[in-house]
Amino acid sequence: MGFRSASVFGFRLALGLLLAVVATSAWCGPPAVAKAADGNWTMPARDYASTRFSPLDQVNGSNVAKLKVEFTFSTGVNRGQEAAPIVVGSTMYIVTPFPNVLYALDLSKPGAPQKWKYEPHPEPAAQGVACCDVVNRGAVYWQGKVIINTLDGNTIAVDADTGKEVWKTKLGDINKGESVTMAPLVVKGKVLVGNSGGEFGVRGWIAALDADSGKLVWKAFNTGPDKDVLIGPDFKPFYASDKGTDLGVKSWPPDAWKIGGSTVWGWISYDPELDLIYYGTGNPGPWNPAQRPGANKWTSGLFARDPDTGQARWFYQFSPHDLHDYDAVNESLLLDMPVNGVRRKVLVRPERNGFFYVMDRATGQVLSADPYGYENAILRVDLKSGNAIYNPAMQPQAGRVTRHICPASPGAKDWNPSAFSPRTGLVYIPHINLCQDSEPSEVNYIAGTPYVGADVRMYAGPGGNRGVFTAWNPVTRKPAWEIKEDLPLWSGALATAGDLVFYGTMDGWFKAVDARTGALKWQFKTDSGIIGQPVSYRGPDGRQYIAVLSGVGGWAGAIVVGNLDPRDQTAGGGWVNAVPDLKDKTGPGGTLYVFALPK
Amino acid sequence: MSSRFRSDVASIVVVALTLAALLGGCERERREYHSSPTATAQPHPRLSTLQPGDMLSAPMDPVGLHFENNAYHITQGGRLYRWFNCNGCHANGGGSIGPALMDAQWRYGGRIDQIHASILEGRPNGMPSWRGKMTDQQAWQLSAYIRALSGNVRKDAAPSRREGMRATPPPTRIPSQPPRSGDDSAQTVPAP
Amino acid sequence: MSQRGLHWGIATGSIALLAACNQVQSALAPVADESRAIERVWDLMLWICGPMYVLVLLALGYALWRNRGTGHGRASDRTLWFGLLGFTVLTAGLLTVLTAQSYVQDRRLHAPVVDPVNVRITAKQWWWQVEYLDADPSKQFTTANELHLPVDRPARIELRTSDVIHSLWIPVLNGKEDLIPGHANMITMTPRKVGRYRGQCAEFCGLQHANMALDVRVDDPRAFAAWQSHQRMPGNTPTTRATMAGRNDFTATACAMCHAIGGTDAGGVVGPNLTHLASRSALAAGAMPLNRGTLETWIADPQRHKPGTNMPAVPLQPQQLSDITDYLMSLN
Repeated sequence: MGFRSASVFGFRLALGLLLAVVATSAWCGPPAVAKAADGNWTMPARDYASTRFSPLDQVNGSNVAKLKVEFTFSTGVNRGQEAAPIVVGSTMYIVTPFPNVLYALDLSKPGAPQKWKYEPHPEPAAQGVACCDVVNRGAVYWQGKVIINTLDGNTIAVDADTGKEVWKTKLGDINKGESVTMAPLVVKGKVLVGNSGGEFGVRGWIAALDADSGKLVWKAFNTGPDKDVLIGPDFKPFYASDKGTDLGVKSWPPDAWKIGGSTVWGWISYDPELDLIYYGTGNPGPWNPAQRPGANKWTSGLFARDPDTGQARWFYQFSPHDLHDYDAVNESLLLDMPVNGVRRKVLVRPERNGFFYVMDRATGQVLSADPYGYENAILRVDLKSGNAIYNPAMQPQAGRVTRHICPASPGAKDWNPSAFSPRTGLVYIPHINLCQDSEPSEVNYIAGTPYVGADVRMYAGPGGNRGVFTAWNPVTRKPAWEIKEDLPLWSGALATAGDLVFYGTMDGWFKAVDARTGALKWQFKTDSGIIGQPVSYRGPDGRQYIAVLSGVGGWAGAIVVGNLDPRDQTAGGGWVNAVPDLKDKTGPGGTLYVFALPK
Repeated sequence: MSSRFRSDVASIVVVALTLAALLGGCERERREYHSSPTATAQPHPRLSTLQPGDMLSAPMDPVGLHFENNAYHITQGGRLYRWFNCNGCHANGGGSIGPALMDAQWRYGGRIDQIHASILEGRPNGMPSWRGKMTDQQAWQLSAYIRALSGNVRKDAAPSRREGMRATPPPTRIPSQPPRSGDDSAQTVPAP
Repeated sequence: MSQRGLHWGIATGSIALLAACNQVQSALAPVADESRAIERVWDLMLWICGPMYVLVLLALGYALWRNRGTGHGRASDRTLWFGLLGFTVLTAGLLTVLTAQSYVQDRRLHAPVVDPVNVRITAKQWWWQVEYLDADPSKQFTTANELHLPVDRPARIELRTSDVIHSLWIPVLNGKEDLIPGHANMITMTPRKVGRYRGQCAEFCGLQHANMALDVRVDDPRAFAAWQSHQRMPGNTPTTRATMAGRNDFTATACAMCHAIGGTDAGGVVGPNLTHLASRSALAAGAMPLNRGTLETWIADPQRHKPGTNMPAVPLQPQQLSDITDYLMSLN
């Protein structure tokens, strides 16, 4: 090759490399947000974009095999541990399932001893209105306070240094079937809290409390007249089916919206540039669809609201007139990414109904919706009208058993959150592969008792594996790689800058896999199934730590914590039939595990 | 014997057997539709086997025994089990939010009068209190049905398979599981 | 004619006439297109089969009389042959006429309807849940044991049940149609005459099958529209001490476990909807007329009036019973 052609070649190579670098860094991922200091983890999603991505890279593919337990901590509560440990500076905060004890651990001392403990003493009867184990999804830190929700409907702010209660506000009423299990989020000095109880015929809402005083600033219901739902002149939904007045009343039989569910027990994201919060609403009640004809607004959908006033900006309904308990409370990851070559501000969601949605987060338009698991309940999502097209053969009817509905009621993925790595551009989704038989029946409404009306039994979907970990490329709209798991995955995922992804299995294995290939790099067997959210932080000594709570439970693990009887296939809302072997594989637990590389 | 005599005997035997079969079907059990509308005070069953000093014996309320051997009351209990949303927390006996009712483990006692007390009084960790919301007879009927779920009623009184999704073996096929102690499920009940 | 013959004639004639006197629940007094179609078939059958029956008896009588005394028939082959042929042709012809009529009227019964009133009737032991459906779900409403229909407009009724097999029979409007668990049947009725009628359950469904009546009213369109919009309203707000106490007692005790009253916390669906109870004329699916006295005795002990019914005798203090009755009687 002559000098001239070599230089041309070299120029082209350099250009190509430059473009590759630019293309990779085109993956800015989340928009510019108020980042927490690198080593902290101040909210369960780590940031307002809900990426659950740790920028720490001390632990990486070449040394993770040496990862070992640094310390453990017994929470004293052997129920489903769904929380994410919160770390600020040299203190770690963990909140337990009922009775919702809040522990502060001093990370600066060896063994991370307890610094203080706050016991809120929630009402024990609240355990009777918690559909899916008495879980709590985590605390949040804000300006010197740690804020938690308790099962009986209180939101409490505790001084982060002393553990003394600063304020306590009661928002939920267990006699109506309400409880609170979600992790609060603090946006612009307001604590956002939503209720649980869609299986108890409650009316769902989201409320904002002043973070300093605990006083109610605004409260928006998710069913009912527009003035309750805070739908006003700013409301500009993208699709025609969401336009109209008082749709939260008109799309229900009379009074049914008052007991119609649409709760907020999952995740909230925030975009500081657009100044919008995004959260999903739960399923309509009851599960028996014949008792609530109509589209059942504003259930199973996504709201964008103004965080200062609560006024709604747009709404999109993933599963109108939901037939299968497809709540829409999953996490919304806010990304800036190319869609058909054009860079856009999007919101991506591995949705419960089995589709991976990419949406314009300014307008609510659905840009794409692709199944990320086996799907026969919904044929496709029509992008023009926005409607999910239901499969007529998979519509449950009273008095009959409809079989092999996929995905089952927990969906292709339930609450357990996925993570995103800007380095790979992949969304890491821990999820499940279950189908179900369903027989709805007329259900009586009695406040404080379940309002469901369906007998359901679940079992493994095609392939026989009940769990699956998918690395999904939202740009190409295809999976990059997949790991099949025997048991369903009910834990969250953590992505790190060391190009590792962490997740836990229901029989207790905590795993680290390569972020690019999915190859298993390390695993450790904890003492109970893992359904919590792993986090990573920089300790006071500068090392990177990975922390996760171990303790099986939740809706998926009900057979263990409730000691349910597998002879009843409908026990545990159908879960007992899906995991009848779980009692043999794990017992209950409640221990925090923190891992690090040897010094 | 002459054929005439034989046919007479035969016809007498046939008539007698038919009468016996017919009469045996009469009044197989009493059905009380009508229960006293006044509120009656129930004795509280003991929930603990620990008694200070010597054991005082107390006979179980015979009302309970009557309900748990009566097929009508058990099937009425099965109807009420869905009407009052018991299946919402306890599924079809396997449990869900509430514990399983078809096994031998009982946190608060598995005799019919103890179950009756649990329903009406409620229990601290989430069982609602139904006193004043259902009649005493309904509570006994429900208790009888719950006893049937664990196979603890006579097999000719137990209801057969349910219409609809056959998710559990019918109570006639569940083996009898008398309530037993050493209830490990109570360990997961946290202190308030 | 002899005295005895005259008496017989009067008896049969009276029975025939009296049957038509029942205008409320009789298949012989049809007021709808469908029941008239059925009556046309009935009439034709009566006027064909009746005279044929008489003819056959006469022929039999003649044959017996002709051959009395002799041991065997003596008709010539020819007469016998012609007689049999004629009779066969007559029978075949009349059967064809009957079949044709049955076919034509059956098509009429199942003809598609335009702009029907859509109703869903769910039979429960031992009462009727009647839901008026609407394309706009917020305009739907539920009532019990009564069916109001506008005159001259078809009604399409979906039939369901959640427990055992029942059968709906409103003879003046249409024939019987079963309600089968797990299955939805349909029946159409196009009433043509304003009035008040009665339907009942026609398939044995348990102890109180006999006390499962349906109050049917056919109104002119304006009255029907007024009734419909009134039924969509929530229950009246109580204003007196007694009715306010009655509502509190209703929602706090066992009543709200099974019954619903629109606009209150009572949301039970397993018992009849009571939002506009006082606008009905009967109680407990026709077991008794509705007035304050019967309502109070019913609530005090339903089992006395309808043993085996699913409503229990709820223990109430006398003042509670009186207040609840006052409250319910205010729900018109």
